[in-house]
Amino acid sequence: MPINLKTATVESREQRLGTIIGWDGKASDLSKESAYARGGCDAKCGQKARRICELRGPFTQGSVCSEQMVECQAGNVRDAVLIQHSPIGCGTGQVIYNSIFRNGLAIRGLPVQNLHLISTNLLEKDMVFGGVAKLEQSIRDAWKRHSPKAIFIATSCATGVIGDDVESVATQLEEELGIPVIPLHCEGFKSKHWSTGFDATQHGILRQIVRKNPEKKQDDLVNVINLWGSDVFTPMLAELGLRVNYVVDMATVEELAQMSEAAATVGFCYTLSSYLAAGLEQEFGVPEVKAPMPYGFAGTDAWLREIARVTNREGKAEDYIAREHERVKPRLQELRELLKGKRGYVSTGSAYAHGLIGVLRELGVDVDGSLVFHHDPVYDSQDPREDSLAHLIDNYGEVENFTVGNRQQYQFFALLQRVKPDFIIIRHNGLAPLAAKLGIPAIPLGDEHHAVGYQGMLNLGESILDVLAHKKYHQDIAAHVRLPYKKSWLKQKDPFVLARRAAAGSEK
Amino acid sequence: MSIIEAKDKISSVTESISQKTNSIEQIRYGCAIGAMQSVAAIPRAIPITHCGPGCADKQFMNLAFYNGFQGGGYGGGAVVPSTNASEREVVFGGAERLSELIEAGLEILEADLFVVLTGCVSDLVGDDVGSVVSPFQERGVPIVFAETGGFKGNNFTGHELVTRAIIDQYVGDYAGAKTKGLVNVWSLLPYHNTFWRGDLTEIKRTLEGAGLKVNILFGPESKGVSEWKAIPKAEFNIVLGPWLGLATARHLEQKYGQPFLHVPVLPIGAKETTDFLRHVADFAGLTTKSAKRKLESFIRKEETRYYKYLEDFTDFYAEYWWGLPAKFAVIGDSTYNLALTKFLVNQLGLIPGRQIITDNPPDEFREAIRGYYHDIAEDVSTEVEFEEDSYAIHQSLRQTNFGHKPPIIFGTTWERDLAKELKGVIVEVGFPTSYEVVLSRSYIGYRGALTLLEEIYSIIVSGSA
Repeated sequence: MPINLKTATVESREQRLGTIIGWDGKASDLSKESAYARGGCDAKCGQKARRICELRGPFTQGSVCSEQMVECQAGNVRDAVLIQHSPIGCGTGQVIYNSIFRNGLAIRGLPVQNLHLISTNLLEKDMVFGGVAKLEQSIRDAWKRHSPKAIFIATSCATGVIGDDVESVATQLEEELGIPVIPLHCEGFKSKHWSTGFDATQHGILRQIVRKNPEKKQDDLVNVINLWGSDVFTPMLAELGLRVNYVVDMATVEELAQMSEAAATVGFCYTLSSYLAAGLEQEFGVPEVKAPMPYGFAGTDAWLREIARVTNREGKAEDYIAREHERVKPRLQELRELLKGKRGYVSTGSAYAHGLIGVLRELGVDVDGSLVFHHDPVYDSQDPREDSLAHLIDNYGEVENFTVGNRQQYQFFALLQRVKPDFIIIRHNGLAPLAAKLGIPAIPLGDEHHAVGYQGMLNLGESILDVLAHKKYHQDIAAHVRLPYKKSWLKQKDPFVLARRAAAGSEK
Repeated sequence: MSIIEAKDKISSVTESISQKTNSIEQIRYGCAIGAMQSVAAIPRAIPITHCGPGCADKQFMNLAFYNGFQGGGYGGGAVVPSTNASEREVVFGGAERLSELIEAGLEILEADLFVVLTGCVSDLVGDDVGSVVSPFQERGVPIVFAETGGFKGNNFTGHELVTRAIIDQYVGDYAGAKTKGLVNVWSLLPYHNTFWRGDLTEIKRTLEGAGLKVNILFGPESKGVSEWKAIPKAEFNIVLGPWLGLATARHLEQKYGQPFLHVPVLPIGAKETTDFLRHVADFAGLTTKSAKRKLESFIRKEETRYYKYLEDFTDFYAEYWWGLPAKFAVIGDSTYNLALTKFLVNQLGLIPGRQIITDNPPDEFREAIRGYYHDIAEDVSTEVEFEEDSYAIHQSLRQTNFGHKPPIIFGTTWERDLAKELKGVIVEVGFPTSYEVVLSRSYIGYRGALTLLEEIYSIIVSGSA
């Protein structure tokens, strides 16, 4: 399905890609059921070709919403303002994304500053009479206070329910102020998975910021779709004579605008980059690099070769690849010895996990289980070279206990019991605290580039050695705290028992 | 810069602040459903949230994690059940989904009390949450509900709604005897105030030292629901702070016939704490000789210790070569703002430069709050402003005349860069405090005041070279 930029509202992941948030089985089975393999689903799952049978139970713990992802993307554009058109509660997220923004700026060597988010602070009477007047006021405040290069507007559950006409205000003010004023429709209730929020931001950027019909082309510029990670791509791509244009977080509006002038677009995780990369190719002819993600030898080799091919730099890539293999191999061999027999578990976002499991297997770590927060049966390009799950299975073999769940802590206990890992790898909050109370330490990958590329394998190996030492702390705490789950539930071997029971009930 | 120029600058700012709009930049509180953290603050209680998929995560991560890295505890954080409302709940209503969630939750979670909190979606589509919850209550499930849609107010409002819900729906009616010397304490907002755990511990410790029995209700020193069940047995309530808790105390006065003592200044330091304890003892009628002896002996012990440390600190305070800041600003919620201002003026002899209260206290309390600042010391009177928008707050600080030396700013993470701009120092004392790790640290009472001195002057000294 091509990307539709005609309307201001992004199509959700489940509409476009058939995204699911509940599944449990072997990785190879999920891969077969996914669109790339055209496995499909039996009749009762509905008509959509890409739909995978999904487990849905009655019990759910707090997830994350699309608006949060808009905050952490559009809200982290350095010279823009994001207006949160909502009651004050949505604005609470400013705290975490400010902290992450500041620390991200610091590790990237950019001037540290607070983010620019403004809440329209809707109250009870606005629920009755509508909130557009407040939105207009906040846009004017944003303009007067910060002279931003663009103003984003995040909608909320509340404005979605009362039906505020955000687009009219945005259009009118865009004309008046002469800068992009961009509505991002990201009501939490509209998508079951938060990654729709990435797409909402990218949709708005594609529609209103990226330069249309650019006069020049920058044939050595590569768009790198990432978050706040340390700058590992500049030295890598410099080997090919390429420059990096990091987007979306911590970019300037001009850096977003020039995306259409670049020679190619890459990412570190298809969950994040799928929509924007496909949109840039479809609308602006900037090729998306269609390759496995840059993790482990196989993935990084193929990724570099494909970038080199797309940007006509093949010779340079082979030389760099050979040098890097030689460079990392001795320490990698040592790490493999040190990590022999260790068991790891990956619980992160979807495509990212596919990459990380590969890196763990390169390090000789046993990975018998993984929890990914959702699964996209296909990415927007629909190109099988991007099938990150198939790449994992083809190169590194089966993952026996492969689970899809949107960060449900109550299921995590049983998941860990299945594989009894020595450590886990996480990104989002909420799972490491439970693992910690079972004596299992976690590696939090705040710097999402930590495991990228050849050096990434060494980085992750060293981090595992560090965290295994942490075990002392975790075993001590495990002996002294109680979990808030009933004993009967902790004995339950199947984390999806309630969902399966519900499904059986509805069949009757 | 000439005096006249400075004056000009000040007046221009006053003008820009007076153009107050709805906009709030760099928020300083959560919304009503943020009171899920007040539930998580009761040992072995678990909030159940009926709202969009991001609300529970958002309130927790910001109020409790990136604010001193306090953590989720037993029943907070990622434990919190949520209906994660979808389009279906918006179109068809979410009552059925909530009922299903509660039922399943009872199978999975181990808690002494569940509190259902609603969000914007539920309150807008008009789910009848009462009829979802009451069948569970009739079955004997310890569960209550509060309607805390974000547009109803901030997490201070939510806190009083939740408190009242637990009292009315769980504690219930009581006609029995009162327990001699037992008091309920209503003070800091859990989690929002970064230091609430240590501070409530110090309040309980000092009140017990004075001879009282204390229902502290929230935090590590609370006995959990048994303490809540004992609320009606208390002889009286103490509201410790300028306004939060007064609504609850008035309700309890009606409901259980309990009088309340309102002490606006949360005590920091020996003088304030001693006055507080004598005041409470007096109100409690601890007038027997042995009671008085106990109180005074506790005070003597605490003051001896306090002043021993202050004596040692005096060398530093009196003769630190490079000088120390003289003026300060406090940007924070009413309770801490007033408490800190009182201590800094009266104990340390610092000069108030700018006081801005950021928790949006209800209008009915504002006049009284202004009065406390007018009488901050016998010989010092100062003004306080009410502002929640950080843009206006920072403009106001930029235009403040802090004299010939840079100020100490008692504020939040939002003021980190501003403090640098003003060449002053920042002590993060309120939400959000994203650059401090806080466990049991307290800044109040006898003991906390000493920690506060360590914190303030370590920051100053460590930044000096």
